[in-house]
Amino acid sequence: MKVSLHWLKRFVDFDLTATELADMLTMRGFESEVVTDFDNIDNLVVGDVLTAKKHPNADKLKLCSVSDGSETFSVVCGAPNVDSGQKIVFAKVGAILPGDFKIGKAKIRGIESFGMICSEKELGISEEHDGIMVLDSSLKAGTPIKKVLGPIFNAIDIEVTPDKAFGLSHRGIAREVATMVNAKLKTPISAVKLNSKSKDVISVELDKKNGCTRYIAGVMKGVKVGPSPQWLADYLKSVGQKSINNLVDISNFMLLEIGHPTHIFDLNKLAKPAIKVSWAKKGEKFDALDEETYELSNDHMVITDTKNTIALAGIIGGMDSSVTDTTTEVLIESAYFDPVVIRKGSKKLNLLSEASRRFERGTDPNAASEAFNMIVQLMQEVAGGTLESIITDECSMNLSNSKVELSSEKLLKYAGQVIPSKNVESILKGLHIDIKKSKKGWSCSIPTFRTDLSSETDLIEEVFRCYGYDNIKSSFNYSSIMQFANDEESTIFSLKHHLSSLGFHQSYNNSLEDLEEVKLFGKDPISVMNPSSERMNTLRTTLHLGLLKNLDFNYRNGSSNTMIYEYGTIFEGKSEKLESITQNSSLSCLVHGDLFSKNVHFDSISASFAFLKGIALNIFEDKKLNINIKLLEEKHHYCETYFAILDGRKQKIGGIGVIGETLLNKLDIAHKHDVVVLDIDPTIFIDYRNFKIKVNDVVPYPAVARDLNFKMDSSISVGDVTTAIKSVNQSILQTVLPVDIYISKKDKSSKDVLFSLTFQSPKKTLEDNDVNTVITEIINVVSKKFNAKLRDN
Amino acid sequence: MSLDKTIKGLKASFSKELSKSKTSSDLEKFRIKYLGRNGKLASLFEEFNKLPASEKPRFGKELNILKNELSSMYQDVVGGSKGSSISNNTDFSLPGYNLPDGNVHPLEQITYEIKSIFQSIGFSVAYGPEIDDDYHNFEALNVPKHHPARDMQDTFFINPNTVLRTHTSNVQIHLMENQDPPLRHICCGRVYRNEAVSYKSFCLFNQVEGLVINEDSSFAEMKGTLEYFVQEMFGKNTKMRFRPSYFPFTEPSAEVDIWNEKLNQWMEILGCGMVNPNVLTNVGYDNKKYQGFAFGMGIERIAMIKYGIKDIRLFYQNDKRFLEQF
Repeated sequence: MKVSLHWLKRFVDFDLTATELADMLTMRGFESEVVTDFDNIDNLVVGDVLTAKKHPNADKLKLCSVSDGSETFSVVCGAPNVDSGQKIVFAKVGAILPGDFKIGKAKIRGIESFGMICSEKELGISEEHDGIMVLDSSLKAGTPIKKVLGPIFNAIDIEVTPDKAFGLSHRGIAREVATMVNAKLKTPISAVKLNSKSKDVISVELDKKNGCTRYIAGVMKGVKVGPSPQWLADYLKSVGQKSINNLVDISNFMLLEIGHPTHIFDLNKLAKPAIKVSWAKKGEKFDALDEETYELSNDHMVITDTKNTIALAGIIGGMDSSVTDTTTEVLIESAYFDPVVIRKGSKKLNLLSEASRRFERGTDPNAASEAFNMIVQLMQEVAGGTLESIITDECSMNLSNSKVELSSEKLLKYAGQVIPSKNVESILKGLHIDIKKSKKGWSCSIPTFRTDLSSETDLIEEVFRCYGYDNIKSSFNYSSIMQFANDEESTIFSLKHHLSSLGFHQSYNNSLEDLEEVKLFGKDPISVMNPSSERMNTLRTTLHLGLLKNLDFNYRNGSSNTMIYEYGTIFEGKSEKLESITQNSSLSCLVHGDLFSKNVHFDSISASFAFLKGIALNIFEDKKLNINIKLLEEKHHYCETYFAILDGRKQKIGGIGVIGETLLNKLDIAHKHDVVVLDIDPTIFIDYRNFKIKVNDVVPYPAVARDLNFKMDSSISVGDVTTAIKSVNQSILQTVLPVDIYISKKDKSSKDVLFSLTFQSPKKTLEDNDVNTVITEIINVVSKKFNAKLRDN
Repeated sequence: MSLDKTIKGLKASFSKELSKSKTSSDLEKFRIKYLGRNGKLASLFEEFNKLPASEKPRFGKELNILKNELSSMYQDVVGGSKGSSISNNTDFSLPGYNLPDGNVHPLEQITYEIKSIFQSIGFSVAYGPEIDDDYHNFEALNVPKHHPARDMQDTFFINPNTVLRTHTSNVQIHLMENQDPPLRHICCGRVYRNEAVSYKSFCLFNQVEGLVINEDSSFAEMKGTLEYFVQEMFGKNTKMRFRPSYFPFTEPSAEVDIWNEKLNQWMEILGCGMVNPNVLTNVGYDNKKYQGFAFGMGIERIAMIKYGIKDIRLFYQNDKRFLEQF
């Protein structure tokens, strides 16, 4: 909310710059930023436009000579309304305008320009930037702008949090400032109820569901619609609002003055001078002041003249009953509406107004009558007219202060230190809270404008806030109560580090993806009801999609080798019911390209299926986890080859696959083959967190190495042969590893496979004979089973 | 012939014949002749087996040396014909192997750093679901259905009663529902906000939130805890301030700013406050007996401050040129 210092001074005298005020309010819980602090802008003066000629090199620019009272400057200006003889806001070289906009010497279309003639937008006054701001011609050139505009236009912007409804007006902020600077609050307009000579009565009927618990109405006749007086227009302008006409301005002014929304109807446009608050019919059409037609539902509260809907209660007035230039008689509304009713109504139409913003946060029911009385007075002053009805005040709500107890023990326990009673009392009094000492502490009477204070902790917060958080000394003593700090993902974190030190980059991808793309992965995706874009409307069912996009992105940016992984949640579900949604952590790696590129030492080594198989072994066959993995080929929705990784209990703990070309094409990934993925079920690492290491004895006897070279049909799987060899002997044959495969260029039907075998016994040094017996058996088995021949070494 | 001489002779004829073997088939024949299973070297070992035990140690040693020498001579030639391994072993100016250089994501690093700081003072770590019901994400946290505070967090809905969590505070509710005080936990993970994607906001971000519930955990203790955190995270001399703010789930609430010397301004880094008694009641705690504090921070924001990153989207683009810098 934009707050003008000029306006605040109606209520409280203070001597602070906008910057100082913003800082102080920020530390009281009203986060504030300076919009414009003319006191802090140097080199900004009243300028006199001596001449304004066409720029020689540009049709739309003007070349002006501007005097600052002592010197004349050449200034290029693009505004259509600049003219000689005008007094303007001249930002000289060196001025820094709001938004950290530094004015320097500039060359514009070949001509040097020394400074700038400012528009209202550039000064932070309004959004107006079609032309420059023209000042009163009686001003003297060279007068500092802080003297001219400062008194009216110094302003700050306050982010009022949803709890602080009382801060949505100048009076509300002024109350806060008054306690900060220890000053008295002034009453610029009296809220005394006026009496009418007329005995006319406006009948008012409240709704039956307590949506509206107070409604004040009265009639003014003989008003004259016209422009607002300068002082009123200035106040509105000081917070960036345009003046419309005196009647509309009065209502807007009152809203910003004391925070209570009111509405003014044209009496002659009502079916009869009566008000009935009721609920809209389902599907009812309503033409609002903003020139839109809304379709209402039966939980929208409306104001009717007993016949027609004339306003959407607390949100916006109707077009048909609105004030126009010819209005002479008006009905003034000042009411209290239920916050939840207003919020629901406004949300449903996605229609937020200054009025609804205040009503949904809770307004002061006593401010309803204040606002009414003030409006009547203001109207008499600026639009003429007299009150021509008895003021109707239908009220079914409690208008008295509420009571809240504050115990000194609780305050102490919350703060962790003593806050002196005299401080507590002066803080509460400063907030207009009447206090009585009680046995346990204080009995507090809460003024109705503090709708946010209903519990003891609400009061504790007020005390802390005003005492100053900085004045509460911190305490810190953890050493005596240390406990085991447990993190079930610590093993996952080690795994991530392990992968990264093997050369993988960790990715963080968006969990929200495009439904069309997610569907390609063949699971039941969960979509978002209200996506911000169609590109991000569905939760990922796999990490592969993101990783593939990373591969493509990096390739298009010049990187041909990719080794990446991601750890994150994937989502699936047959319906959007929470119970049927699974959300599990998942870990996938993706590789493509070279692990090592060609270099002076060796040829390139590609990051292939075998590489990921090695990674899988490396990860799972960790001695500590003690898992012996097996690969089992299975059908996969989009991988052309996919092997499930099974642990010793035959449970699936992951998989390795080569992504199929069809998917790569559909996703328009730059690569069409050799994209390999490894999936790891992270739960296994969480499960094995509490593994127990059992150490085996180190065998002291030497190992014997032997090589065997077999010629076999090239279609035979080397893995099968390896398994067959291993099965021959389990006591001394320790490892079997294919180390070389040779296929002759001439005859591709067969291949030579060289196996490297090691033998070792835990009991003794092996003799040649021990080994030879096994070797003979192996040769026998392999020859028979695979029709292979031992090659002569 | 003594074994000594045989060794010398074998060595000489080996190197002579090796230098003559030019073609690969020559080399293979040569290999079988000398180094094969029934080759000359193997027969020497057979002779060695016949030696008396007293001589075995000496010749055993020599034979092993010979075996290594011969195979390395052979490897030099074979390798030499393929590449340039001889010069590779002696030209120390050559580049080292270009090992792939991986990284843990910057957000992961910051999360780890934050976790470690809190773990060091006895906080445990908890996790929870990213999709949750309205109750755990809002209502239990003292954010009623039709309250303006709902506007503080633009929410993605899966259905009218199910949301993508807007903060990790839902984990705190689950935690308190399942565990009695005292509690000292942090929760971390992804949270979602339905905001327009720009350089300063993304549709999701990562959070770390903390919760301490005990009989006497006070505002002063909250300040002490967070001061410790800020000093560990940003340096001992970091200037910080607690500024009153509003969150529905805490009261009193505060925001913590740290002073950025370079930018000459305060920067907001976390929100905190005393847990609202209504929240304690909602999870069945006795709010007369127990009280405590909670705090929460966005990892991206802290990473951006710490590393001087200007665009939040960089974290989710996974551009190698970005990731490589961490």
